[in-house]
Amino acid sequence: MFLAFTLLTLGSALAMAFQKNVIVAGLFLVATFIGVSGLFILLSNPVSAALQIIVYAGAILVLLLFVIMMLNAHEEESPQDDLYLQRYIALGVGGLLLGGSLWFIKQSKLLQSVAERPIDQIAPTSLNEIGAEMLTRHIVSFEMIGLLLLVSMIGAITLVKKRL
Amino acid sequence: MMSTSSFLQALWTGGLQGYLLVGFLLFIIGLMTVLLRRSFLLQFMGIELMLNAINIILLAFGKWQGGAPTASTFYLFIIGVAACEAAVGLALIVELYRLKSTTDADQHSTLRH
Repeated sequence: MFLAFTLLTLGSALAMAFQKNVIVAGLFLVATFIGVSGLFILLSNPVSAALQIIVYAGAILVLLLFVIMMLNAHEEESPQDDLYLQRYIALGVGGLLLGGSLWFIKQSKLLQSVAERPIDQIAPTSLNEIGAEMLTRHIVSFEMIGLLLLVSMIGAITLVKKRL
Repeated sequence: MMSTSSFLQALWTGGLQGYLLVGFLLFIIGLMTVLLRRSFLLQFMGIELMLNAINIILLAFGKWQGGAPTASTFYLFIIGVAACEAAVGLALIVELYRLKSTTDADQHSTLRH
């Protein structure tokens, strides 16, 4: 199961990255999010999996596809000038990150000691626990995220509206 | 020291290292999308991919820390920030498209118009 969801996630992410048509790329992004949600279920976290589907695949992707179809910019344009140096630097950074992360996963002793902990009798995270945690220990962050959502909503309206 | 065969076993069957590898690869694919593609909309999708990669790593460590609800709480905060970023980012893209009728990042390389 882990392998299946991993292949779904990484395969559709790669297909998205190399896709010419932006709408098809958006649909591949939906498949990626469904794969990520499956990984969350395997991590015994069904609440996060449901939220992943509802918020990402439901809300954010619908907003994104709506904007794509409204803008009528479905194909990427041909480049004005070839920025080869920038592309090689970008590929170099990516290769460096890949090598570093592989080295970290293979070599880190701290990671191994964490990975050898027993995880057989872990109960799935319940919505009760999350709610209690969020509204007691993290109440200030909770209020701040509500304020941030309000501010970003006002900001988005102000940016797009021509005359207020 | 962990032997190589049990390391590969953890990668294939969903040990902590396997989840970390998926997260890192997804992050790198997202970063490459942002750096190599020129359309604003595709770059935006790359940013969403990077946020999801971080979420996978966060919840994987949350499980191996004993399934504490703190990880899920922070996941909620992260998707809140992602929703804000989607709203403001898409508003900016719409506004830039109105300005020059294109979503190509190379043509929006100056701050003034």
